[in-house]
Amino acid sequence: MRYALRRLLHALLLLFGVSILTFLFAALTPGNYFDEMRLNPQISAETVKALRTQYGIDRPLPIRYAHWIISTLQGDLGFSFAYNLPVAPLLWVRARNTLLLTITATALAWLLALPIGIWSAEKQGHWPDRTISGVTGFLLGMPDVLLALGFLWLAVRSRFFPSGGMTSVDFDSLHFGGQLYDLFLHLVLPASVLVLSAFPLIVRHVRSAIADVLHCGFLRAAEAHGVPRRPLLYRYALRAAANPLISLFGFSVGALLSGSLLVEVIFGWPGLGPLLLEAILARDLFVVIGGVLASTIFLISGNFFADLLLYWADPRIRRAASFQAPEKTHA
Amino acid sequence: MLLCAENLVKRYSGHRSFGEKHDVVALDDVSFSIAEGKTLAIAGPSGSGKSTLALCVACLERPTAGKILLQGREITGLPERDLRDVRPQVQIVFQDPALSLNPGFSANEIVAEPLRVSRKLTKTERFARGRKLLEFVGLSPRWENRKPAEFSGGQRQRLAIARALALEPKLLVLDEPFSALDCSIQAQIANLLLELQATLGLAYLFITHDLVMAAQMADEIAVMERGRIIEQGEREKILGQSTHDTTRKLLRSALPLNLSRGLKTS
Amino acid sequence: MNRKRAFTMLFLILAALHLIIACAGFFATYNPEEQNRELPFAPPMRLRFFDGQGYLHARPFAYPLRLREGSFDEYEEDRAVKLPLHFFVSGARYRLFGFLPMRLHLIGAEAQVHLAGTDGLGRDLFSRILFGGQISILAGLLATGLALFFGWCIGAAAGFYGGWIDEILMRCAELFLALPWLYLLFALRAFLPLTLSPLHAFFLVVGIIGAVGWARPARLVRGIVLSAKEREYVRAARGFGASPFYLLWRHILPQTRNILLTQAAILIPQYVLAEVTLSFLGLGVPEPTPSWGNLLSSSQQYRVLASYWWMLLPGFALVPFFLGYLGLASSLQEQGAPSNI
Repeated sequence: MRYALRRLLHALLLLFGVSILTFLFAALTPGNYFDEMRLNPQISAETVKALRTQYGIDRPLPIRYAHWIISTLQGDLGFSFAYNLPVAPLLWVRARNTLLLTITATALAWLLALPIGIWSAEKQGHWPDRTISGVTGFLLGMPDVLLALGFLWLAVRSRFFPSGGMTSVDFDSLHFGGQLYDLFLHLVLPASVLVLSAFPLIVRHVRSAIADVLHCGFLRAAEAHGVPRRPLLYRYALRAAANPLISLFGFSVGALLSGSLLVEVIFGWPGLGPLLLEAILARDLFVVIGGVLASTIFLISGNFFADLLLYWADPRIRRAASFQAPEKTHA
Repeated sequence: MLLCAENLVKRYSGHRSFGEKHDVVALDDVSFSIAEGKTLAIAGPSGSGKSTLALCVACLERPTAGKILLQGREITGLPERDLRDVRPQVQIVFQDPALSLNPGFSANEIVAEPLRVSRKLTKTERFARGRKLLEFVGLSPRWENRKPAEFSGGQRQRLAIARALALEPKLLVLDEPFSALDCSIQAQIANLLLELQATLGLAYLFITHDLVMAAQMADEIAVMERGRIIEQGEREKILGQSTHDTTRKLLRSALPLNLSRGLKTS
Repeated sequence: MNRKRAFTMLFLILAALHLIIACAGFFATYNPEEQNRELPFAPPMRLRFFDGQGYLHARPFAYPLRLREGSFDEYEEDRAVKLPLHFFVSGARYRLFGFLPMRLHLIGAEAQVHLAGTDGLGRDLFSRILFGGQISILAGLLATGLALFFGWCIGAAAGFYGGWIDEILMRCAELFLALPWLYLLFALRAFLPLTLSPLHAFFLVVGIIGAVGWARPARLVRGIVLSAKEREYVRAARGFGASPFYLLWRHILPQTRNILLTQAAILIPQYVLAEVTLSFLGLGVPEPTPSWGNLLSSSQQYRVLASYWWMLLPGFALVPFFLGYLGLASSLQEQGAPSNI
């Protein structure tokens, strides 16, 4: 429990630090951001002036930051000029879509990679292992831009999969099962691209982690006791190899979030990616900051989850966290 | 007196384990002295503070309290700049030459490195001196380009000794120099050290857990336990007439060798 | 020995690929910015050895393309004319390595021969891919150099000095690592001017990728410096009066060589991809300067993707580089230090 609170505090501090970092980027950029906004015909001069006073451009930096963080915590993430809407609800919808895509892809990638990696480690040196290494090596060499465009091309040519978007035009008129199927069809290709880009690395790491553990004495002992193959691999070996793999999980969340940015743009999936891109091109300041913070929250949450998982899985972490006895050191 | 240590104390601030702080006192009021050309052996079980003492004398750790005087001059509180003049006079040989020699350097680079640091000689001069140092400790100068991995354990320790001699020190601190070596090699290195002492007039501070080795190398022995010197005196007195438990335990655990057939002739 | 040989082979292949890109002017057939409005979106010309009558020609040739009657994007071959390929011909002017003026090209023909087709403005895609490679690969190399340099300095300082310097630097690193890196890149890019000249944009892209990427190498270098600092031979060197700078330079930093090489092999393709992604989305190097990213960006349009498959070829150009660097990284990891993610 104490461990969880500590990690939570750490996560919150990190988020706080990131908010400062993002704010600094925005505030310290060369050229006055508001000057550029003045040149933008969509924003009236009065709005610019009102915003300038409201956000206290002439005040010192820490005060501006304080204003901003207070309003953010109250749920007011600013205003989007491009959409003419407050940022927070806009962000929420998009973030949900990104989560859907990213969580599906992460889950699939790991569910596929674990058994394949374990099998590969088991058959080390033989042809299944070699083939898998070859395939993962090849996949790692494919840039995700190419994969995404390639899959989109497939969609366009085959006409079976929709070529973009999250839902069809007639989505609302479909019954629930139809809606689910429609969503599924739209989800398949972008999720597949993400899975293909993430899963080779995971497979390789799983393989090497399990291979390291397979040599250990305690596993041989379990085998000698007659533990059958599958529980041996999954319950014993996987538990022992959990530590580096859980760290990898945290890392993979970050990689998949970054990957999803591009994939969303290419497939027209209405998530944070396209929103962020449009906001940058339209110089929509608050949406950009909001989008970056949203993605950071996801990543930090993913890592926090990984920390908790690690605590559950690795008894050494549990012990270190609650160690009370004094240690005697030698001179 | 070449070196005097007075009331040395070394305290390491402890680890924080959820609010409890534990200081470790490695040296607790330690005093001794070494005369020129003589050998003092510090013997004791593990954890008695011997290595900390070696590091303090070699100016690699600063004592928390107490004084060290080198030829009458106090060296304990000196800033790094001034210590640079002091260091050449006190050099240290570590326990495991596999760890104390940089595996990427060649033999000559290793032994001549102290000369490079003091920056008084050119590269050619340094390497010439390096070759002489190698010969001095019984290694062939033809091996000057070999890496430490290509030498045996005993030869590596010779390299470490050669390096320690590069700056022509007056006192050599030897921190358990034989522990990492085979028994047969130990005698060779011990003999080398004794020869060097006779030729160069070096003083030795010899740290060990082996009282028998101490007997063979030293004029005086001090026995340490948990940071304190519990017994100190001439060799024969410690070995023959000690009443301390620790000393007797050390004696019993050492290899049974006939003490009167010691190598040292005084 | 087998491993070392594999490594050398990989290294040579990769070096050859880089050389080809570096001498893009020589290997390209035309000037990458030369437009030909009469041949927009022309498909790649097929090289043949047998002509219509079944005769074998020693020299490969192609039939020129012309627009089919009544359509505006379908082409047919004009079988009446043959365009044999010549080698080492004199063609469009270019500057080798940026300063040597030359006119020599590896391949050329009397009229337009497009080995990889053309883009919307009739520019030869093959030449654009080669020149685009210069931009993208160079961006990746420079950005990696920048990131590794900063990471090395910061990591070494943090590891060596320890204490509060270490705390602050590593907390900063953690902040940078807390953001998904593409989002971080975007955030930086967002607040900088959007329309820039190609040269400025190039250096901007290199700058922000390098400024963002220092964190992971810094952590790794810090780890190595921390452990190297405690080595006994470092202590020994202190014993004969070595200054901290000497210790760092002679004993500690050489230990970081392996990790830096491995990180370079891992980061270069990532950073090339970063530039490609940025340019693809319109945030990197702008037209008309070709970069693999902006060459691919027209493929985002439905029409282009559906009908003009050769516009995806720049994406494939990345693959041999990726595979090469990947192989290099694997082989370095096997040889030397463990490189973490």
